[in-house]
Amino acid sequence: MSSPLSPPEPPARPRFRWAQVPPLLAAAFPVALLIGIVVTLAVAGLGFGWLLNPSVNWNPSTGDPSQASFGILVFVVGSFVTALPALVLVLLLSLAIGAATALYLPRRVSLLLNGFVDLLAGIPSVVYGIWGFWIVAPVFGTTLNPWINTHLGFVPGLGGPVPSTGIGIPLAIFVLTLMALPLTAVLVRESLLAVPVAYREAGLALGATRYEVFRRILLPFARRRIGGAALLGFGRALGETVAVFMVIGDATKLPFNFFDLSFTVPGVLVGQFDSAFIQPNYLAALAQLGLVLLAFSLVINVGGRWLVGRVGRGGIAMPEAA
Amino acid sequence: MSAVPASGWADWFSPTELVRFRRRHLVDRWIGRLVPIVFLVAIVPILDLIFWISQRALPTLTWTTLTTNPTGNAGGLYGPIVGTVDLLLLGLAIAVPLGIVSGLSSAIFLPFRWGEVVRGAGDLLVGLPSVILGYFGYFALVIYFGWGASLLAGGVTLGFFMFPYIARASDQAFSSVPPDLKDAALGAGARLRQYARRVAFPIALPQILSGIFLAAAIGIGETAPLLWTALFSSYPPTTLSQPTGYLTGLIWNYYDEPLTFGTEVTLAFQAAFLLIVIVVVMNVIVRLYAERSRKKLEGLYG
Repeated sequence: MSSPLSPPEPPARPRFRWAQVPPLLAAAFPVALLIGIVVTLAVAGLGFGWLLNPSVNWNPSTGDPSQASFGILVFVVGSFVTALPALVLVLLLSLAIGAATALYLPRRVSLLLNGFVDLLAGIPSVVYGIWGFWIVAPVFGTTLNPWINTHLGFVPGLGGPVPSTGIGIPLAIFVLTLMALPLTAVLVRESLLAVPVAYREAGLALGATRYEVFRRILLPFARRRIGGAALLGFGRALGETVAVFMVIGDATKLPFNFFDLSFTVPGVLVGQFDSAFIQPNYLAALAQLGLVLLAFSLVINVGGRWLVGRVGRGGIAMPEAA
Repeated sequence: MSAVPASGWADWFSPTELVRFRRRHLVDRWIGRLVPIVFLVAIVPILDLIFWISQRALPTLTWTTLTTNPTGNAGGLYGPIVGTVDLLLLGLAIAVPLGIVSGLSSAIFLPFRWGEVVRGAGDLLVGLPSVILGYFGYFALVIYFGWGASLLAGGVTLGFFMFPYIARASDQAFSSVPPDLKDAALGAGARLRQYARRVAFPIALPQILSGIFLAAAIGIGETAPLLWTALFSSYPPTTLSQPTGYLTGLIWNYYDEPLTFGTEVTLAFQAAFLLIVIVVVMNVIVRLYAERSRKKLEGLYG
């Protein structure tokens, strides 16, 4: 008999209920899917042992499959040669956009203008591709590339022949910049706006100009998260598939100069899969290359997310959901 | 008492400092004028893209284009349009329930630490290059499960692609419900799942719907996950086991045909035009809807 004054019973241990199973399974699904993807690619790719080699010799379809060589250097070089300049451009643009939003523009105007930046994220990749291929490429081929070539030709890499079609590395950098910009711009903007308003006001009250507030207060404060944003943008640029394939020219050789055709890792994954159907070791090599790209993407994203961090629970998930 | 320092103004506002002061402010003013120009980098390409794709697509875009199937080197977009809708609906049928329940669990039911694991995995899935998902769909669903290149395999792959976006959005939505409400509900004797269904879900719903719309807008524009899972077809699918056409695949197949050969390139531009219209409209709807429901919420708690 418990009297009203005796201490309450300790709560019973929560009982197992079948109703808890579906939510738990759904919660485990992202982890399971990630593991499933890795395992699938590993099983599909490792049946012939390790096939890839770090050379420029990509020669999958010889009469004798045992003579095939899967050198991935061409694609790795192509990926970095396009993604790194795109990253630099994206970072500079994002910083300017963030500074303009945080300090220089009225709230309404910056909301509207940032809406355009966010809209860039909504355009499908393949649409960027067809636009780049038919509409932007002639501009690069007849005007921009020759102009850079004649005026800056003395810089190593900018001299030499220029393909007149406009397809090639510069166009790929341009398209990648547009495609990686929205994500990085949102993250940089958020991290600059996350600096406590009191810091900003203190700087202004001490007589600092807005530029000095940006340079000396906002930038040091948000440095870590801007680094994370840059890393995530880099990951996005490295993983971009369809659009880059359509505008880079798909040449299985090292680029001769800045204007030359090239090829990227995701590009070869999407572009040569069809021809690999009938040749098991070719298919396995592509799956291995997919595994390499997957590993790269995971490392970059883990690093980027860690640097960007989270604002409380939830945090920054979707680039577009600003 | 005088505000002027004993040494006179000149000492702490010397001519050199005055020059520096003017220069600092001049720099600031010019940066203030120049920096907003960067927005042109976003605005000019997007207007250029919309203008030129419309210009290539619209002159020959008629009702017949939308209601006939693509043929060898002419025809319309009917098959791929129906295929796109079918793939999207199938994908959403998988991604929406799974995503919402997953977000609910990671935000409310699971301990914070485990929730972080789920959220981290979701973030990684969002960051994965989409071609990887195409490989996964081909090797796992088409070959290992033996579904063949089909509407089913394509739809499921697309569902897996959209799932992390929806899961992350609903996790965010459930997490951003004010914690006071949880304390109040549990304090009033509600169970956790009663709180989730009666209190958190109605408040989180607008944000979840925005997430679903955005995921659909991203999914509709994807190419690489579908290329070998749904393959392609000019005709609308009639069963789940048939290869299926879709707008992005039509662009992918036709974009580099020679201009003299037929109307494929124009057809590709028309498909691109349709995609842009769909995606932009969806984005605008999400934005307006999110703005409206945010104001409503502010009214509720403000």
